[in-house]
Amino acid sequence: MDIMHGDPMFGAAHQMMHALAEKEIRPIAEKHDREESMPWDLMKKVRAFGLGQSAMLEARRIAGDEDAEGEKKPSRGGRLAVVGVEELAWGCAGIALAIGGSSLAAAPVGRIGNEEQKQVFKAALKGEDEKGRVKVAAMALSEPQTGSDISSLATTARKDGNHWVLRGHKQWITNGHSASVYVVWAQTDPSLGRAGVRGFIVERGTPGLIPGRKETKLGIRASETAQVHFEDCRVHQDMMLGGPGPSEGLGDTKKMLDSTRPAVGAQAVGIARAAFEYLLERVRGGTLRGTPLGGHQHVAFALAEMEMEIHASRLLVHRAAWMADHRMDNVSFASMSKAHAARTAQLVTTRAMALLGEEALEPGHPVEKWYRDAKIYDIFEGTGQIQRRIIAKNLTGVNAI
Amino acid sequence: MDFALDDEQALLVATLRRWSEKQLRAWAAEADRAAAAPAQLWKSAGELGLMVDAVPEAAGGLLDGDYSHLARALRGYELGRGCAAMAALVESNVEPALAVARWGSAAARDSLFSALGAGRLAGFAHDFYERLAVTADARGGLAVSGRLGPLPGLAAASHVLVSARAGERPVVFLLAVPAGRAAPATPSGWRAAAWGSLALERFEVAPEMVLGGAAVEEILAWYRVSLAARGLGVAAAAIEYAAAYAEDRIQFGQPIGRFQSLARMRDSNQTAIAAARAYVLQAAWEIDRGAAGAADTASRARDLAAEVVSRATIEAVQIHGGYGFVNDFPVEKLMRDARAFEVLGGNEAFARVLAQTTSSRGGA
Repeated sequence: MDIMHGDPMFGAAHQMMHALAEKEIRPIAEKHDREESMPWDLMKKVRAFGLGQSAMLEARRIAGDEDAEGEKKPSRGGRLAVVGVEELAWGCAGIALAIGGSSLAAAPVGRIGNEEQKQVFKAALKGEDEKGRVKVAAMALSEPQTGSDISSLATTARKDGNHWVLRGHKQWITNGHSASVYVVWAQTDPSLGRAGVRGFIVERGTPGLIPGRKETKLGIRASETAQVHFEDCRVHQDMMLGGPGPSEGLGDTKKMLDSTRPAVGAQAVGIARAAFEYLLERVRGGTLRGTPLGGHQHVAFALAEMEMEIHASRLLVHRAAWMADHRMDNVSFASMSKAHAARTAQLVTTRAMALLGEEALEPGHPVEKWYRDAKIYDIFEGTGQIQRRIIAKNLTGVNAI
Repeated sequence: MDFALDDEQALLVATLRRWSEKQLRAWAAEADRAAAAPAQLWKSAGELGLMVDAVPEAAGGLLDGDYSHLARALRGYELGRGCAAMAALVESNVEPALAVARWGSAAARDSLFSALGAGRLAGFAHDFYERLAVTADARGGLAVSGRLGPLPGLAAASHVLVSARAGERPVVFLLAVPAGRAAPATPSGWRAAAWGSLALERFEVAPEMVLGGAAVEEILAWYRVSLAARGLGVAAAAIEYAAAYAEDRIQFGQPIGRFQSLARMRDSNQTAIAAARAYVLQAAWEIDRGAAGAADTASRARDLAAEVVSRATIEAVQIHGGYGFVNDFPVEKLMRDARAFEVLGGNEAFARVLAQTTSSRGGA
């Protein structure tokens, strides 16, 4: 480990997750990428030994709220999460997202939901769905016209008696087709702007909740992405997160992103490391024009560059997670960690493919898959451009356009 | 110096631009999904005279006089703008046809040209990473072991022109693909390009199929210019799509293309594509004139083009955001298609480094 992770708990988590990635995830990664299918069997298996069993716990860990001993003690949840997900994504980023996808929805419930809402959410994830699969949750925020600019949601919630009536379309929703429970964000009062945007817990089967088509994607194909439609979907007022009074609304979501971004960056580090290690193995075993491949500077220096970037990315990720664990303002570091790791993953996978040559064009080649998987890390959870806006605003105080 | 196209070139560009936009782009998504080019491609490309344009007239082709690599570069760019996979198929016959016409024996010419005349396909492979083991026998024939490919067109090809090394010595030979022996493959990019690979175990190449005296660097120059031109077509298409999207997509109250970072991303890609295209055309022009440095210019142009297409497609997806990652928009395909331009026949940057550090001429 490194200077920030003297605690043996991190080493144990690292070992456990690495073993899982190596023994369970790697062997099925190519198949789920090719078939664009969720790893339901593995999801059931990992739930049996605790991982992802309670998405809620995951959420609290990420939010840094799990320590019963009191608020003064730093959490270890943020660092545990980044150490763990780097390994899972090293195995397969798509499968890592399939295993952890429910935590996206669990995070706001864990953070601003009341006890009843937490119980409803937990209960909706217990047991198996009608197809005998692990139940999963979906966070429904993005819309066809609303990607980076999350404050301009078009989905509306209209009050009608004791219910809210949801109307609108959601896009790029992880688990959007298969979820048993959704956390849906909708505008309750346009005059309030961002503060009018509120989250609702909606269970599968609620009339008017219509899971849409699954997307065919460039990468992370083992994680399901789908559209979700709401056509006069009636939700009881008790299921509005944050209760009936004024709430920070989307502000909560933004805070949530600060704590999840380092974990997203950690996944990108995992992809970069996977591609780097694959290339390193090839270089160690290969010769060209009578010289070991590692004896060619063109190859050796590329490896050195990758090693530098991967370590730099990981240090930023761990730093941002450490700050979250110590309840420090990590806005800028969260953005830097995510943006830097996304760039590293793209650089390393692209360069590795170039150096591997025609081999990387083999159908099902892992480095080609990692090249496709890496791209989303510069897009979702705030694009690289959004991260740079945040970092820059922290420096200048101005919103750059 | 004259940068203007002559009438014939202008007609070629206009014709192929129309064909590429109307046909190739219309077929591209389905061909990608099905991992197969539509049957109309062959008919349509045949009508345009694209498949046997490098085969001498005397051998049943359309080539009367010198072949124009400049025309081929202009055409490759337009085809690349349409679909990388179908462009690869359409361009596939050129290296074998030109090399065999120039350096092949009568037997090699008969074998290749009768196949191409019958509508078969040929391809070219350069064994940069020395994955083939080639030994020469006393009669001047070769024995080849190893795996050839995956290579575009190989699953449908009757012949492959192979550039490899027999020990220290570069050799070029025409390999007649035994019927049914090529294993089809579907990589992630150029999915409709009929990829295949061929396992060879002391495969015997007859002496008359070895192209004695063939200049490997010259064949590579043709190939590199073609790859570069098609790659830049892909890059141009990616940035065209991204620019259009950035004008339509409104976030934070304005088209995202008005944000400086995305405007610069689009702008610098356009500059890079224009510069690389000019360089590729120069390389082709040098080849046509038999200029001394033509092979080197071709290699540099391909080196540059590979970088440009890689960056342009990745950034086109970035500009599209979440829509770039799903196949409703064409750019995710282009990002998959970009890779082959960089690695087919070897990584050009690495090839250049080797050429400049291991040859006594010191490159250039």
